[in-house]
Amino acid sequence: MKTRNVITLIYVLALPIIVLSLFVGPTQSAGLGAWMDALWGRGTNTDLVFTVIYQIRLPRVLLTFLVGGALAVSGCSIQAVFRNPLTDPYILGLSSGAAFGAALALATAWLPVQLSAFVFGLTAVGMSFFMARKNNTVAIVSLILSGIIVSGIFTSLLAIVQYFSDPFRLQSIVHWTMGNLHLASATKLKMAVFPLLLGSATIFVYRWRMNLIALGDDEARSSGIHPGRDKAILLIAATLASSSAVAVAGIIGLYGLIVPHIVRMFSGPDNRQAVPLNFVFGGTFLLLIDDLSRSFAGLEIPIGVFTMLLGGPVFIYLMKKNNIGWND
Amino acid sequence: MKKILPVGLSLLMLVLTACVRHESSTGKFDEPIQVVDFRGKTLRLQRPATRIVCLIESAMSGLYMLGAENRVIGVSSAVYYESAAPHYAVLDQRIKNRELPAPGNWDFVDIESLVALQPDLVLIWASQTEAIEAIEAHDIPVYGIFLKSFEDVFKEMADFGLLTDCRPRADSLIGFARQEVQSLAKNHLSSPRRSVYFVWPQSVLETSGTNSTVNELIELAGAKNSCALLQEHVVVNKEMLFEWQPDLIVFWNNPSKQPVPLLIESGLEALKAVKNNQIYELPPVFWCDLWTLKFIHAARLLAKWCYPEEFSQLDLVSDQHRLIQKLYGSKAERLLLPSEQAKKNIP
Amino acid sequence: MERLTPAFNVENLSFSYREALVLSDVQIEIAQGKLLFILGRNGSGKSTFLRLLAGLLPCRVGVIQVFGRDLKDIPMAKRAKMFGFLNQQHQAVFPFTVEDVVLTGRASYAGFSPKKADFEVVRETLEKMEIGYLRNRIYSELSGGEQQLVMLARVLAQQPRILLLDEPTSQLDFHHQSYLFSLLRTFANAGLTVVSVLHDPNLAFLFGDDFLFVKEGTIFRPPNGIEPWDAGFLNEIYPCEFQSVPFNDRAVVFPKITL
Repeated sequence: MKTRNVITLIYVLALPIIVLSLFVGPTQSAGLGAWMDALWGRGTNTDLVFTVIYQIRLPRVLLTFLVGGALAVSGCSIQAVFRNPLTDPYILGLSSGAAFGAALALATAWLPVQLSAFVFGLTAVGMSFFMARKNNTVAIVSLILSGIIVSGIFTSLLAIVQYFSDPFRLQSIVHWTMGNLHLASATKLKMAVFPLLLGSATIFVYRWRMNLIALGDDEARSSGIHPGRDKAILLIAATLASSSAVAVAGIIGLYGLIVPHIVRMFSGPDNRQAVPLNFVFGGTFLLLIDDLSRSFAGLEIPIGVFTMLLGGPVFIYLMKKNNIGWND
Repeated sequence: MKKILPVGLSLLMLVLTACVRHESSTGKFDEPIQVVDFRGKTLRLQRPATRIVCLIESAMSGLYMLGAENRVIGVSSAVYYESAAPHYAVLDQRIKNRELPAPGNWDFVDIESLVALQPDLVLIWASQTEAIEAIEAHDIPVYGIFLKSFEDVFKEMADFGLLTDCRPRADSLIGFARQEVQSLAKNHLSSPRRSVYFVWPQSVLETSGTNSTVNELIELAGAKNSCALLQEHVVVNKEMLFEWQPDLIVFWNNPSKQPVPLLIESGLEALKAVKNNQIYELPPVFWCDLWTLKFIHAARLLAKWCYPEEFSQLDLVSDQHRLIQKLYGSKAERLLLPSEQAKKNIP
Repeated sequence: MERLTPAFNVENLSFSYREALVLSDVQIEIAQGKLLFILGRNGSGKSTFLRLLAGLLPCRVGVIQVFGRDLKDIPMAKRAKMFGFLNQQHQAVFPFTVEDVVLTGRASYAGFSPKKADFEVVRETLEKMEIGYLRNRIYSELSGGEQQLVMLARVLAQQPRILLLDEPTSQLDFHHQSYLFSLLRTFANAGLTVVSVLHDPNLAFLFGDDFLFVKEGTIFRPPNGIEPWDAGFLNEIYPCEFQSVPFNDRAVVFPKITL
């Protein structure tokens, strides 16, 4: 299949998948047929059908889509900013920082959860960056290494929060480290929709400039663009989007790494195409994974586990099959 | 043996009618039911709950003791675990047939399945704050539970009595349990107090401090908790164990390994308790769940392990029969504890 | 004839990396529309000087004027339209197409999104450099020489009045070298100012209009009456002996060989 057609397909299928996802779930009696019946005023228990579809599944479907899209777009922009195709919010320690921030906020109520996640997410990225920086350059390997260390530091801090908080309050913190969408609600959607969209939209606006940023600082500067300013804006946008995603859905590990690579196979590295495609594909793909996890009645497998289990092999397959475009 | 069945049944009927009669005598419930849960939140129900989703195994046990099993329409998935399912299958045909939905547990809650059950009351750990928020967003009343003492268990039972319109049965069970506690506490012990180190299943080094139901259990048995730290759950240093030198080591719900090999593997074979062969394991959770009135059985077991001479008269087998009969009724007692089985459950 | 404003006017320029003084009190004028080469030994400060002119390094001591205006007062986007800078080497990370790479040169014109006119400029630039056939190729898969030509195209797409080039031939084979220099010659003839750092003095002597030499932090032209290809003069710059061989009205130089 021509890549052009694949791209068209990704855009065209997004809406139908969002709509059809509303009819996936453990409640057998709230499928597509039941919904149609309920719309025509037929069938029993129409209230329940509407409640399940509009109040439970709709917020979850929308939140999942937004989280997936935002993580993919953030990953894509972080890769451009660091000129490093091997980074994402997880590898840079951003996710661990945000999870720690969110946990701290929950345990102590010092700061609102979202704000705390954002502040510590940004702190973690900053730490990774400055630890890796030497003589004004940031080597690919150093950045990954410092990301691992920062990630480890914040995971440990998270463990300390767990240790000192009520043993029974732990489990919601534990849920974060695995990523979960099972408690998605209209409240969470409302809480996260603005930062998720603001972060993603900012990256969308800067999508072409990301091409220039990805070429290098000297190149950007001599073309009349302040690389520092653009990078800071992109990084804050990516942190805003992905820390909000962590605050409502936990750490969905490596999603921001895998999706941009898959998308790049279809769109090429030009971020003018890649950024919107990342958002739509990232959202749709996470939604499909979540549909899968929701179709196991009663049994909820954390989404982070699923993305790793599904995304890992897909990623390795693609890496082996294609030159995914990073020259050592 | 066959004669016991009708006797048991009639006893059960008596218990149940106690519940039912109350409901019919009152007829309409003009006064809304009002209880304060363990979060400190006041719950107001216009009528007793008839569609309860109970996501805590111990709380469900409590409801079954009250004879309110027909009001339960959803349970914790833990109920279907291998260790618990056979017992509950005896108590409830729906569990035996795997028909009773399990929309969650202490960890995860499937909000969609739960809401689809259209419950009028959800019983859940108070610590599951996110889940509670999500459930309450659908205007479903939530009773949050957090048990730190046997007194909390009594309060929980009393509230369940109100919520399910089984107040007399609840009061009678609480009264019975209080008597049992008093009779144990009253035991005059001539021997010096023995110290007990309690082991949670997660690790040999994971125990409970003084601010816990475990501590209460040990005190109730007339013994002393080796771990004098305050925490409810705590992981201690191996060296502390040698410093404390507990007289007994008691395992709870130890999953796979035998206690003694586990202690040896953990390098604890030099402990006095191991040398003196003072290692004990409480029977499976169903028989002595500390978060239910069944804690009495655990307390008596522990008392006998600590002071075998003082409690030489205590026949644990018949004692357990008596307790199960009192809590669940005679039929359940006969089915749960056929005489062979009963022996197996008492070490 | 009216004297044109110089492309660059540098006064009292000094620069140091941390403690080490790299350039001291540089005083130089660079005329418009000339092909100028900067020669000197490795590490003499040639690249530093070029990066200072390009505004990539901050000018803290002294003044750099571009077309009579202080460089410090010119906003970045304006600078991009005045001069384009080509780095010595460039490491590609993502497999962009050549068109994508060249298009980024239009950033100061296009802002957040390139327009039709920008694509047109890219196409024309590639045609003008006779590398139109590379347009849809993957930049990172090209040879070093082709990559350098593409990066030059990127700078040209910026449509600057001055080109600042740091070792533009370092990756090029013989053919590409001579091709590039005739191209630069054409640009200069058409009025573009070209300032290039170069290792090879002979290529400079063959094509250049003007020559700057860098030695021990100072930048200078040959003294009056002495040609830049003078063997004795060059011996002061590069510490080896040369012999000069006349060629056309100029000369080429070789290291003195004793057999």
